[in-house]
This record gives sequence, structure tokens and C-alpha cells, in this order.
Amino acid sequence: MSIDPFLVWLESSALSEWVVGSESMLAFPGILALHAIGMAFAAGLAAVLDLRILGVAAAVPLTAFRRFLPVLWAGFWLNAASGVLLLVGYPTKALTNPVFYLKLALIGVAMTLLVRMVRLIEGGDVSAPAVARSLRRLAIASLVCWGGAITAGRLLAYTYTRLRA
Amino acid sequence: MVHSLQVWLVAAIERHSPVADVMRTAWAWPLAESLHFLGLCLLVGAIGSFDLRLLGVARSVPIAAVHRLIPWGLLGFAINIGSGLLFVLTEPDQYIYNPSFHLKVLFLGIAGVNASLFYVTSFRQVFGAAPSLDAPRRAKLIALISLSAWIAVIVCGRMLTFYRPGPCVGDRGVLLTCNPD
Repeated sequence: MSIDPFLVWLESSALSEWVVGSESMLAFPGILALHAIGMAFAAGLAAVLDLRILGVAAAVPLTAFRRFLPVLWAGFWLNAASGVLLLVGYPTKALTNPVFYLKLALIGVAMTLLVRMVRLIEGGDVSAPAVARSLRRLAIASLVCWGGAITAGRLLAYTYTRLRA
Repeated sequence: MVHSLQVWLVAAIERHSPVADVMRTAWAWPLAESLHFLGLCLLVGAIGSFDLRLLGVARSVPIAAVHRLIPWGLLGFAINIGSGLLFVLTEPDQYIYNPSFHLKVLFLGIAGVNASLFYVTSFRQVFGAAPSLDAPRRAKLIALISLSAWIAVIVCGRMLTFYRPGPCVGDRGVLLTCNPD
């Protein structure tokens, strides 16, 4: 079964035509800019938490990172929203490219790792050797996932095979 | 005067670019872009955390402790100066005549001057013998300008592709925003 009828329908929707076709700098260019800003805060603050777990700025208590999490989540939701708009604009370009699914999977894993790290930190004794070891493993995996997600995202512009249905 | 400097710069880079041949191989440009995005995240993550702390987020943590993140922000900055130069040294006209690039450099300059103002004006209150947990008001203003400037740098960077310089026709401003060749 082909998803082409769905793609054709989506691409002919008013929202898709606005994202792609509008002359306004707030349409496609503005959405791309928001997507880059959200990335900087979501991936950037996640990377800072990972680095802290791995020993950077060790005088900052891990529990204090809870205060930065709302900004990280704001970046994440900004990118979920702007990402949906970009997807509505060019659904064929993304959905026919395996790299797009790799990017989504890496972000899904990275956010799951983040939630697990936050739970461990809030669960109490982060200095217990077993907890510290789990946190370090999660932090390294998180850095790898974010690095992969960002690279995969950038390569979407070079790896697609169909632009429109 | 500025126009001829721009023209000279583009011509000089086009004649002697040490990286253009490598950058024009299949995956060099996309990989340099990926690196530029990774550096951006490191920069904004580290410097942004420090700015947020100055603004009052995680107020119980000593500012000097969060400042230990700054070298990682500088690493991100170095990665992006390096990867950014690869682009400019490969397609100089696409940047040196691009109004969005001019604004990006302006905001980079603002971010730089602003960061040095922090050390000049607030070093003692923040790192001295009796550091305050609440940053002085001018340090908060500097943090706000820093966050805004870096966001503006990102926006201008992302807009480069929508302001590609075309051939020059008619009026020219202080800076060339079109390709005179």
C-alpha cells in the first residue's frame, strides 16, 4: 500500500502551501530559524547535563539542573512544533528518507535517556557507586544520540530522493 | 572604500583558498555543516546556562561553579569559527556580499564585546572573596544581551541561504549586498 495519496493530500493542504509557498519570512525561513533555536537549547542544555555527570563543573550540584530543565523542555516542544510544520511543508521529502526516521529515533532515545537521568538524580543518592556508574553510561549514550540526531538532521538536506509526491 | 575591500577579499580568497578543493568533494560541506551545528549546541548550552544562572535560574548554586562551563562554550565557539571559515574560504562571495552574514558578524561582535564587559564590570562581585549569590543588576543585563545576541547569530546564520547575493543593479549601500562581477 502506498502512502502517496496521503502525501498528495497533505501537500495540497492550505497549511502545507503556506509553509512552502508563502513569501513571508515568517513562513519557511522563520520556522527553520525557530527549529535551530530550539535545537540549541534542547541539545545544548542536555549536553551540559551530560558533561556535568561526566565531571565538568563538578561543584554544581546535580540536583540544581532541575532548574534548567524547563528551558530544555521549552526547546524540545518548540522543535516538536516547528518540526511538525516543516514536515507538513515537505512530507514526501522527509517520510521517504530513512535518515529522517533515524533522526526521530535518536531524539526519542535521547529524551528517554534524559528522563532516566533526571529520575536517578531525583531518586536520591547520586554518589552511590552503582548510581554514579549508571548515570555516566546514560550521559555518554545521550551525547552520542544528540550528536547523531543533529548530524542526521543536517544531512536530511542532502539525502532525500523525492522532494514532492 | 568598503566595497573595494569586499571585492578584494572575495578575489583574494578565490585565488588562494587552501580548503576549497577539499570542501567541494562529495560529503565535506554537509559534514562541516553538521560540525557547525554541534558547535552551536555546545556554545549555547554552556554559555546559555551561565547566562541563565546570572539571570537567577538555580540561584542557590555559586555563579563561579557554573562558570566552569565557559571553556566548553569557548570550545564550541572555536569549532564554529573553524567550520565557519571553511564555508567562507570556499564560497567567499556567498558570505562577503550577503546582508545576513553582515548582520551575523555584527551580532557576533556584540556578543564578544558584551562578554568582555561582564569580566570588566562584574568580576569582583561574582568571583571575589565574598561572592554574592544574586548577580548584580548590570550582570543580569549583560546575560540578557548575551542570550539575545546568540539567538540573533543563529537566526542570521539560518537566514544566509534566503539572502544569497544576486548581481548588482542600481543603488549600492555602505556595504555591498550584491555580487558586482
